[in-house]
Amino acid sequence: MRRTIKWPNLYLIAVFIVLYAPILYLVYYSFNSGGTMREFEGWTLAWYREVFADTRLLIIVLNTLVIALLSAAISTMLGVVGALAIHQVRRRRRKNALLSLNNVLIVSPDVIIGASFLILFTIAGIQLGFSSVLLSHIAFSVPIVVLMVLPKLQEMSPTLVDAARDLGANRWNVLTKVTLPCIKPGIIAGFFMALTYSLDDFAVTFFVTGNGFLTLSVEIYSRARQGISLSINALSTLLFLFTMLLVVGYYLIDQRSGRPAGAEVRR
Amino acid sequence: MKSIVRLFVGVFAAAFALMYVTSLLNSSQGYTGGNTLTIYNWGDYIDPELITEFEEQSGLKVIYQTFDSNEAMMTKVAQGGTTFDVAIPSEYAISKMKEDDLLIPLDHDKLPNMKYIDERFMDLPFDPGNEYSIPYFWGTVGIVYNPDMLDGRKLTSWNDLWDERLRNQILLVDGAREVIGMGLNSLGYSLNDTNEEHLQEAKRKLAALTPNVKAIVGDEIKMLIAGEEAAVGVVWSGDAAEMMWENEKLDYVVPKEGSNLWFDNMVIPRTARNIDGAHAFINFMLDPEVAARNAEYVGYSTPNAAALELLPEEISGDERFYPDAVLTAKLEVYENLGKRMLAHYNDLFLEFKMHRK
Repeated sequence: MRRTIKWPNLYLIAVFIVLYAPILYLVYYSFNSGGTMREFEGWTLAWYREVFADTRLLIIVLNTLVIALLSAAISTMLGVVGALAIHQVRRRRRKNALLSLNNVLIVSPDVIIGASFLILFTIAGIQLGFSSVLLSHIAFSVPIVVLMVLPKLQEMSPTLVDAARDLGANRWNVLTKVTLPCIKPGIIAGFFMALTYSLDDFAVTFFVTGNGFLTLSVEIYSRARQGISLSINALSTLLFLFTMLLVVGYYLIDQRSGRPAGAEVRR
Repeated sequence: MKSIVRLFVGVFAAAFALMYVTSLLNSSQGYTGGNTLTIYNWGDYIDPELITEFEEQSGLKVIYQTFDSNEAMMTKVAQGGTTFDVAIPSEYAISKMKEDDLLIPLDHDKLPNMKYIDERFMDLPFDPGNEYSIPYFWGTVGIVYNPDMLDGRKLTSWNDLWDERLRNQILLVDGAREVIGMGLNSLGYSLNDTNEEHLQEAKRKLAALTPNVKAIVGDEIKMLIAGEEAAVGVVWSGDAAEMMWENEKLDYVVPKEGSNLWFDNMVIPRTARNIDGAHAFINFMLDPEVAARNAEYVGYSTPNAAALELLPEEISGDERFYPDAVLTAKLEVYENLGKRMLAHYNDLFLEFKMHRK
């Protein structure tokens, strides 16, 4: 009995090794004093120093963060409103149609979304740069937020709303005192999903950047095309660590807010 | 509800704080106001010190952006919404941009340093009279090889590639005109040949090469050859120079049958805002001393005759990158063959790629 339990674990470990090996390989060589990815010659922090000494790169990192935070926040607001609206729809077919329209945006290739935004912005006369990137990031994040919030709304018992109305709450009170607190985990999850999507988006951003405005993934791409500088490794390592931090942060928030909410329902 | 509101207020506060820091950094770097010049160039294709020097000299602030293919660059320029003041496309892209009315004619009075450019590289078919463009760098297509992996043999001609001993040893660059051109050259035809019989002959000849071809690759060819994954590569001279920098064993040869001669030229795209600044920059880059330093940094061949004299003998005397007059006479510039012929070249190349070994 005991031995059979170990096989799944072994399989899991193998899968994780395959998934993480390339990243760890990249991280390992970011400390290489040799200058290439072929031979490891010695430990150095020179590549990290090079990254931090580069003001232009620092501006790009800040740009990326600003875009991620703003687009995540705005798309969460829009997404929550959208989810509430879809939830309100009574007729099943119409609801499914709306949901499918939402999901198509998630599964359609980034390249197509990026190209269509490029065409749209050009026709609309919007200068490529900060605003075009922000708008497109908001646009591709909204469907994700909707998808994260909607299950929470469906989980919520309709009787809660009825009870609140019974006790004299108006619509605004129901929304702010009952519905939103109930779906809070979904909102936060949606926010973090939107944040990570925006942080690592390449394809869409690649199409709609311009006029010197760059985000980190686009910059890494254009640097990697020129090949063989280990500062790319250092930069990627930092980005990887940052996303890890985000995941851990999300996990902690989820644990803290998740438990009492569940307890309340049980009571 | 309160905690959600607090979260969002926090996020917006953080975002605006970061935006403020960014704008501070931007202004400390001087990237504000109309005092800028945006340059759109290939990655790692200029000595960064020269940009700083130009900034000091002209009082302009340079925004430097890079592209990785002519097509990407043309799309960004064509669709507008950008403000590139100077771009550096290759010659076939220049003739296409000219056709599409994407370029602003140069004012030769503002470019006194133009006189330093070698006569051979002026007034070429893709831009008669240099109305729109000034050469930045030039180079060839040739064979880079690792003599150690070939038992010390030397390659001198395209036909050497068909040698049976090179089985599965050749990497080709992924370009239709380069590869089909190689086939045409090896048969003694012109790179710009449009004769259907000659093209079919070249295609059959290339099909015979497939057992020797290990892969057809993009930019990663530099790492693969320098890393000794394959012994032979068909590449542009500039890439070859970079590989030889990485791996000293490598050697480069321009095949004796002739090959392609290519140019990257400086142009002012339609999107330019600072046309005077753009002229100032082009003129600055044409200064012999500046051009010489740039050539030393980038490793491509400079078209600037006065700069060539300033370069150390080991660079300017290197016949692999500055071929003698006899070989130069055999080099050809790609002509714009028109859309249909180009599509035909692409089809032939595709058939070659799909050809089974």
